[in-house]
This record gives sequence, C-alpha cells and structure tokens, in this order.
Amino acid sequence: MGDGRGGGSNRPAWLQQYELVGKIGEGTYGLVFLARLKPTHPQAAGRRGSPIAIKKFKQSKEGDGVSPTAIREIMLLREINHENVVKLVNVHINHADMSLYLAFDYAEHDLYEVIRHHREKLNLSINQYTVKSLLWQLLNGLNYLHSNWIIHRDLKPSNILVMGEGEEHGIIKIADFGLARIYQAPLKPLSDNGVVVTIWYRAPELLLGAKHYTSAVDMWAVGCIFAELLTLKPLFQGVEAKATPNPFQLDQLDKIFKVLGHPTVEKWPTLANLPCWQNDQQHIQGHKYENTGLHTIVHLPQKGPAFDLLSRMLEYDPRKRITAAQALEHEYFRMDPLPGRNALVPSQPGEKIVTYPVRPVDTSTDFEGTTSLQPTQPPSGNGPPGGQPVPRQIPRQMQQPMGGMQRMPPGANMGAFGAAPQAGMVGMNPGNIPMQRGAGGQSHPHQLRRKADQGMGMQNPGYPQQKRRF
Amino acid sequence: MAANFWTSSHSKQLLDPEDVDVVPAKDRERGVTPVEFRLVKIHMSFHIWRLAQQVKVRQRVIATAITYFRRVYTRKSMTEYDPRLVAPACLYLASKVEESTVQARLLVFYIKKMCGSDDKYRFEIKDILEMEMKLLEALDYYLVVYHPYRPLLQLLQDAGITDLTQFAWGLVNDTYKMDLILIYPPYMIALACIYIASVLKDKDTTSWFEELRVDMNIVKNISMEILDFYDTYKIDPQRGLQEDKIIPVMNKLPSKA
Repeated sequence: MGDGRGGGSNRPAWLQQYELVGKIGEGTYGLVFLARLKPTHPQAAGRRGSPIAIKKFKQSKEGDGVSPTAIREIMLLREINHENVVKLVNVHINHADMSLYLAFDYAEHDLYEVIRHHREKLNLSINQYTVKSLLWQLLNGLNYLHSNWIIHRDLKPSNILVMGEGEEHGIIKIADFGLARIYQAPLKPLSDNGVVVTIWYRAPELLLGAKHYTSAVDMWAVGCIFAELLTLKPLFQGVEAKATPNPFQLDQLDKIFKVLGHPTVEKWPTLANLPCWQNDQQHIQGHKYENTGLHTIVHLPQKGPAFDLLSRMLEYDPRKRITAAQALEHEYFRMDPLPGRNALVPSQPGEKIVTYPVRPVDTSTDFEGTTSLQPTQPPSGNGPPGGQPVPRQIPRQMQQPMGGMQRMPPGANMGAFGAAPQAGMVGMNPGNIPMQRGAGGQSHPHQLRRKADQGMGMQNPGYPQQKRRF
Repeated sequence: MAANFWTSSHSKQLLDPEDVDVVPAKDRERGVTPVEFRLVKIHMSFHIWRLAQQVKVRQRVIATAITYFRRVYTRKSMTEYDPRLVAPACLYLASKVEESTVQARLLVFYIKKMCGSDDKYRFEIKDILEMEMKLLEALDYYLVVYHPYRPLLQLLQDAGITDLTQFAWGLVNDTYKMDLILIYPPYMIALACIYIASVLKDKDTTSWFEELRVDMNIVKNISMEILDFYDTYKIDPQRGLQEDKIIPVMNKLPSKA
C-alpha cells in the first residue's frame, strides 16, 4: 500500500495510476474525488477502469500533522474486511504538500440518495424486499464491526453506501469510519472526544450525557434508519442546539419522547444515573409525554414482526436494546419477502425495478481542489438520467444535520467493490488460542459474556436462504 | 480485530527471531554491528520512555510507540531514518492512535529540555510531522498493536497471584527494551513474565501452567531471553545505557545536525 515517493514534485508518481473524473464530495476534512484506475497500472489487472473514490485529507491544523480522524479511519479499515463494510484499497501520501489520500472502491449510491429519490422523484415508498435487504445487510456489517469491538458512532443514511451496477450491485457498504473507535479498554471515557452521531440518529443515552456508551448507540441509529426507509422521512428531526459543550439536546429528546412516550426508571433503570437526567435543568422529568405511538408513524401493524424489530431497536434502555446479532435472527428476516444480496433488484417477477440516479460529479475540480473555469458537466456516458442538474452536492450538505462534530456527509461517498469474505472469520477464534480457560489471550472481561450472545450471529453464513436469491 | 489478536494485522506481521535483528545494508556499510544495532534500539527505547514521562502519556502509548520504532527498523535503515527523529515521531503517532494526542510542539519542547546540549537530538515541529507521514508508509499503514499488559492482569488473576502484579508489570515494561513484541503473541510474553516472577518470588505455578496447555518451551525460551537481557546489559532502569557505551555507536549514524 502506498508509495509516497515523489517528494518535491506536485504530481506524485502514484497519481499517474488514476484518471481523475471529478469531485464528488467535500467536507471539513477535505475533498472526495472519483477516479479510475488506469488500465496500465498493475493493480488494475482484472479490474479495468474500476471506479475508485479518493478521499483527500487536508492537514487538520497548522502543526498538527495527519488528522486524527484520518489516522483512526486508516487504523480501523486496515484491520477489517467484510462485504458490508467499505474497502480501503490504497493509502497515498503526497509529501510535497503533506496531504493524505485514502482510496476506496467506489459506490454509486447511498441511502440518503435512495430515500430522497423515492420521496422527491418517485413519490413512492421503497418496496419491502429492498427495505428488508438493506436493513439486513446493514445489520450484517454492523454485527461484524461490533463483534470486533468497533462502534461506528456516526451511522446515518448518507454514510451507508449501496453499490451500483456490476458484480456487487445492490450491496450495502458501511462507510466513514472517521468517528469509529475500538471500545475495548478505552483510554478515556468515550464521551471525551466530543459528542458524536448526527443528532437525528443519536441515541437517548447520548443526549442525556452517558459517559460510557456502547455499541447500542449504533443500533438506535439503525432503528431510526429503518423507520426512515419505511416512511422516507427522518423519524426524529430535532433541531440541534449548537455551540454547547453539553450533550443535552432538548428538542431532539422532545421529538423522541413524543413518539415513544416518557422514559421511566422502571423501564430504564440506569436512566437515573445519567447526568442530564439527574440535573434536569430543563425539567424534562416533570413533563408528561403521551405515547403517540410509533406504529402510527411507520404505518406498521403493532403485532407484526417488522414493528416488533423496530421497537426493539428503539428501546430506551441501551442494555435491553436489541443487538445486531440478535436482530439478524429476528423473525422479520425469515418471512417473505426474504432479504437478498442485491437489495436494489427484487427477484420476484412483476416487481418494478427502480433506477436510481448516479452520483453527480463536479468535473471542474482537480486533485489539488483547484476549480477550473470550464463549465461543470457530467462525465461522459455517466450522466444522471433525466438531465438532473449536476452538482447537487451543496444543497444536499445543507440539508444534513451536522451534529456536534462539524462533519459533512460525503465521507459518505465512498464505496467498496472488491469481493470481501463473509462474516465467518470475525470475532472469536476458538481453537486458535492454545489456552483452554481463563483469559483467552487478549480478551476483555466483558468479552466472555458477550461471546455467548454473539455466537449465533457470528456463524451466520450469509444471507438467510441464500439459494432463493443468488 | 480489537477483540481478536489472531485475525489482526499484528498477528500476521509476527516475525521469526532471525529476521528481526538483521542490520540493514546501509547501516552495515557504516560499520554498525549487530550488537551495536541492538544497542541503538535499547537506547532509543529509553529515549521514547523518558520523553513519554515528560509529556505524561500512558504505558500503552509508550508500548505502541516502541513497537512502531522496532518495526520500522525491520524494514528501514538507521542511516536513512534517523532514530533520533523516528523515536519522537513514533511517540507522536502512537499518541494519536491511542487517542491521547500529544502536540508536536510539546514534544519538541521536551526534547530540547532533555537533550539540550546535544544538537543531534533537536528537531523542529516540521521534522516530526514529515517523519509521521514517512512512518505511516514504513509501517504500511498497519497501526493496531496488542500488548501483554491486559492479558498479564487477567492471567495473574486467573492464577491467583495478583500480589505479583507490580513485579510482573515491571518485567513486561522491560520486554520493550527487546524485540519480543515483534516475535511473540503478547499473551506469551505476559506468560513468560509471570513465569519469571513466580520463580523469583517462589510461587508454585507449575500446575497452573500445566493446565493452560500452552507450549511451555516457548514460554521458557522467552523467559531465558529476558533473563539473558538483564545479564548482558545490566541497565540502570532510570538512566539507560552508559554514555561511553552508546555515544560511539550513535556517532556512526548520520544526523542532520
């Protein structure tokens, strides 16, 4: 990986292996480009012209070197390998301007755009097969991460990519690991490095100031995303109180409580210990929320498996919230329509196949981020159908809640294309540790307990009833 | 990965002992012998350690930094990668990876304070930042490192000899003066330290070790290496190597000063 030779030159040698198509995203960390591997490059063998998303990191601050976000992303992505997680294919360094580039396999779509297309262009809900397949794959990727002790912390529709046409069409890739972290033996309380997760998908324990949160925060976000796939609208659209070091977000909590009812210590025993609940400066405890009913919002029968799964994801008490492994075993995924590998193309005859727009590309920007004067145009043969105006990137970012961490969605715009092994290799390693008892090598005290409840999900060989779909 | 050493990049990168202590060709040309190569690594491990005490980072950060440092010299020469600069840059990178970032300017400040009289150790912030990027490349962007500390505590607990914790912990610290972390799984290093501690402190752990079903030959080999190390170097744990021993060696290496 990497080949940073080229110090002194403004066009490092590694750049020669890519043909730049254009800019596809922008964030506080830097820019994201779409490029193609030149067929002459050795790595391009067998993947002629493969589209690659290149995320360029600026120096975070004068004198701070490589941004900790980039370091975290590299560190995690270099260790993990899963079909439903973005694939980091290369890292490049330009010593001349001290910039760092992460190259990913490119994904044409993301859930933000898929949902938006249905809401604004089709005015049609996403078919059940697609919702279920997207959710299953999301959980499958998340189960892999959680069993490897990684919390994503920033799950939202724009960070969940979906592969466009090709070998991996309709496969989900969880992206943007800039906030992800390993939660085994943290050096500092997790809450110390800033409040995370875009506010709409933020779990109630975070909003109430929990110090040591768990992988359950990701499951809350999945619940919010599930509901959004069903209704095409964000479930809890709170208005963020900005510029406060306090994690407490009254409006967001208000939106949640109005739908799910007032949290109680009976249902959520550790609620009483959460700082913002204890202080209760906004008198949330005294407020009486009626339970307006989640089912009326998502239009699901209260007794059905879909609703059951959703409400378990939106369980107030993080310890009772369903885990990714448990969710994968839920009855919802065993009922027709069964989830499949290509989430975008249902196999039932008669189902309408939706064509999703491709990502807009700003072809006027080069790798240095310099914009040329030539007018923006779609790359040849790759233009969005229906002659959509091309750079939608800007309005899109403005619609996105920024959360407390000043991030832009397009980290987002990364994808993976390489065939990654399935979940089998993850997590535990019985047989490998030549010790039969006690502390198996590196395990965390909690790990032993978790082994039991994750075991099933781990061994999940792939999609339920694969034969029907593949 | 975090849960499992065996699927980690650390596990896949473990080396055979004979591949670790090879003097890079460029250093050999400058007359650096295998013994001297080892001395520089010991000396610079102390340097990282002392610098870390100044900026106050946890043990884990130091251990990760030294592991990076040692890994780099299985691939790069000291002639091209000045260890006087690589050492603080490793600490800088490790502090980011372990989420307790130390600012480069603080490192520069404390290096000046520690090595004020010796210009060869003095660097600017820019030097550290440039080396950070070169390190990322040299490490092939593999940054996750496992250490013996956590398994040590768990194993001591399991053996019911937590009264040896401090002693065994100190032994683990000393293993970073050697290349063991590049060769053996961290829990095996922890076991070797427990083995030494229990022998020296007269605790009978024979049956406990038997039940573990680990390869005791490896545990004993690691233990012997550690004891040999103490015998050979007789290092003052506070001051490190004696100056007359290390200065002539360091002088063989080019410096920018």
